[in-house]
Amino acid sequence: MFRGAMGMRRREFLVAAGLVACARPAPRAPRAVRIEDVLQSALDAAKRAGATYADARVVRRRDQGVATREDHVVDVHDDESYGIGVRVLVVDASQSWGFSATANVDEASAARAARRAVDIARADAGPRKRPIVLAEMGVHRDKWATPMEIDPFDVPIAEKAALLRDVWREAQRVKGVKYMDGDARAVDERKTFASSEGALIEQRVVRVAGGYAVTATDDAGDFVSRAHELPPMQAGWEHVARSSLVKDARKIAEDAAEKLAAPTVETRKRDLILAPSNLWLVIHESIGHSTELDRALGYEANFAGTSFATAAIASGKIGTLEYARDNVTVFADKTTPGGLATCGYDDDGEKTQKWNLIEKGKLVSFQTTRDQAAWIGEKRSRGCSYAEDFSSVPFQRMPNVSLAPSERDASIEDMIAATDDGVLIFGDGSWSIDHQRYNFQFGGQMFYEIKSGKISRALRDVAYQSNTIEFWHACDMIGSAKHFELHGSLVDGKGEPPQSNAVSHGCSPARFRNVNVLSTKR
Amino acid sequence: MSARGFEIADRLLAQAAKMGAEARVVVREHAMGHVRFAASELTTAGDFDTTTASIAIAFGNKHASAETNQTTDDALAALAARTATLARAAPEDPEYLAPLGPTRYPRNARAWDEASAALDPTARARAAREAIALADSRAIVIAGFVQSHRTETTIATSAGLRADHRATWSQMTATARTADGTGSGWSGANATSASEIRGAEIARDACDRAERSRAPRKIDPGRYTVVLEPSCVASLLAHYVEAADARAADQGRSYFSSHRVGDAIFDPRVVLRSDPLDPETPGCPFDDEGVALDPTTWIESGAPKNLYSSRFWARKSGRNATGSRSTWHLSSTSAAPDANALVAQIKRGLVVTRFWYVRWLDPKQILLTGLTRDGVFLIEDGKVTHAVNNFRFNDSPLKMFQRLVGMTQQTWRTPAEDTIYRAPIVACDDFEMSSGSDAI
Repeated sequence: MFRGAMGMRRREFLVAAGLVACARPAPRAPRAVRIEDVLQSALDAAKRAGATYADARVVRRRDQGVATREDHVVDVHDDESYGIGVRVLVVDASQSWGFSATANVDEASAARAARRAVDIARADAGPRKRPIVLAEMGVHRDKWATPMEIDPFDVPIAEKAALLRDVWREAQRVKGVKYMDGDARAVDERKTFASSEGALIEQRVVRVAGGYAVTATDDAGDFVSRAHELPPMQAGWEHVARSSLVKDARKIAEDAAEKLAAPTVETRKRDLILAPSNLWLVIHESIGHSTELDRALGYEANFAGTSFATAAIASGKIGTLEYARDNVTVFADKTTPGGLATCGYDDDGEKTQKWNLIEKGKLVSFQTTRDQAAWIGEKRSRGCSYAEDFSSVPFQRMPNVSLAPSERDASIEDMIAATDDGVLIFGDGSWSIDHQRYNFQFGGQMFYEIKSGKISRALRDVAYQSNTIEFWHACDMIGSAKHFELHGSLVDGKGEPPQSNAVSHGCSPARFRNVNVLSTKR
Repeated sequence: MSARGFEIADRLLAQAAKMGAEARVVVREHAMGHVRFAASELTTAGDFDTTTASIAIAFGNKHASAETNQTTDDALAALAARTATLARAAPEDPEYLAPLGPTRYPRNARAWDEASAALDPTARARAAREAIALADSRAIVIAGFVQSHRTETTIATSAGLRADHRATWSQMTATARTADGTGSGWSGANATSASEIRGAEIARDACDRAERSRAPRKIDPGRYTVVLEPSCVASLLAHYVEAADARAADQGRSYFSSHRVGDAIFDPRVVLRSDPLDPETPGCPFDDEGVALDPTTWIESGAPKNLYSSRFWARKSGRNATGSRSTWHLSSTSAAPDANALVAQIKRGLVVTRFWYVRWLDPKQILLTGLTRDGVFLIEDGKVTHAVNNFRFNDSPLKMFQRLVGMTQQTWRTPAEDTIYRAPIVACDDFEMSSGSDAI
């Protein structure tokens, strides 16, 4: 990590931004571009054209991956986009936002994009029902980068492919396991942000993922798949290289064979014990998305939907809405080490932070950006603005949202021992939730029946369905900090045009009483 | 013809030729403009214009691909060099096939509208304002999105294939919610020409549905005869075509492993076709590998007729490569004149406006889960009587083809990104609404 570079030399700044010399050898060095000048050109042009506020982002995004099928490589890709996006706020007779982006990172193109953004804002000018108020914010000039040991883009593609082929060598030894899809991926996001208020922030975020799913089949034409649970992480290649992907290959394959032969679950209510590799996705869907302020106030109504938590704002109940049982505390945190949404500053230039969304069962806050804080009477943004790439308009995206561990020392084994009739679930499977975040249904990877405090057998075709408020009130056991794990996804969609956000969710295992468990076998 | 696209492609192919590599280049010049509105006011608007060049390079069976949106000589040389480095380091792929050579494709001028290509921001803002004004006049809260696109695609290979295609498309969707929060309605349109996107009409339809869906009565989950509006049909269809894969079928991991092409398993009225030259689904006549997208029938006479086959799998299994499709047209050989005629046949059922969050449950059964939203209405004795609550469903697109009550004659081009689905209103029996949802 490198910080506190207010007085950085220009050359150092340009190289760190990846804009003068590529990390990879190139036939000829690209023509030097002064990124500060390009950004300043955009900001100046916006101001001259009449913008009250402007910000600009030069973003280079690189996505490299390898995919395998059984013992051979089927895809190797290395895609890159680069450009500048300019956002302006125009306050004439009314207020309006405008945005324009170009792949040409030079002063003239940046100025053109800025003027175009002002034109677009003016085309949208008209009476406003809700005034645009930008929250107070410090002006930061800084650098931030993912701490890592091994830059994944320095690792030969053959080494990544070899790891996945080692997995198949082990997995194929298990009878009935016939297929495997594997992949390894690295995403590099380099962003330099400047605003008309004087901010200048350079960040590099690197995310990696590695995984595979094996498929077991039988002579009767039946088949099931089982995926490894290694989560994607903001980290270097060491996260994948030192993982148990290869070591677990035989076990994952054996799981697939066991699941194929397992009985289907009986549809009825029972207790659920969810491992972190399953529970993270429930947190994401039923708490993460519900507490996005723009969603709660109708700004996602046409696509991602709204939120039942709107009621807490409309009736002034923030702090009183009983979202969960009083043992449940959920926090948002864009500073979690390794978290996929972690960074130093958001896309408004606000410093990232940690805060509670649910405290002892009560909803106490929302996720906000700079222009949303005033909507709920807050003076500062929670720092949740994000734009996926240079051509994306920044808007509110989910920070890492995690379930606080219990202070009592509880493990999965303790939960099993305390359960008479339940199902234990590992890994994420199918997921779906309604557009106001009430009714959800999830699957998983491996399912075990619990009878009288012990695992009795594996099950298959399992899904569970509940209502967010009922489910979180049914949570009666949460594991302690030593069982806390961070899981997440590189892709979470929201917005129009749709943008993808990477986000992590941490939790310990937890137990939920009397939940609808259903069979997906027809 | 995109001179710039071929010029970029040729520069990349020249780089590959110097290395002695086989190569395929796709250049996509894409411009997009958009305006978003919510809480009954304009929220964000923007545009961008970018050219993406991607190259797939192979040395023997070792291959890789890479993409950039920088098109200077240096950037393209760096792209080719980076791709070649990856390809040389990649393990052998026994499934690799050399790039296609010269191929003739029909030109499809119907996919382009010159006036729409200008991507005029004032036209988008006007459509959004019309929607807001109409909703304001009815005290309804509205949100929506207007987008317009211009894309020119060029493909060229080291084996001599050269082709290009250009397309425009515009789309508007709107969700209207009653001020008391008890009703929600949705509407949308997708067209090649921006002039076919009419903000006021879309807003009126969404507002009408919102008002009709107000204060829904609660009814039990269960199996219902459903009348699915085109948006619902398209979302089920998208999963059906994903499942209809020849490789998975041949490998015993698909519904189509035990239900083969030609088996009479569907209602004989169902017809599913892809044809980029169909004036109602104007698309690109080739895919990104250069496979010609000839007219193809997927379902007809009660049977699946074709499954998607990649070039490799087609060669291995003795089929024709189908190409990756982006136009789909569902219809019936014996259609109902309109939705009312379908509803009239139903004793008790549901009209569903839209599905949401549709996900896989089991590929072997093509079983999905998802939810209804923005208007569910009860049918009693052949008439729509009142709004009811939303549901989660656990069921399959196969229900549309196996328990078909009927389809409308008219079909609609449904809102979608980069794929054209043209679908009728479909009524089918025995659709499992597995649990209720409190969402409005």
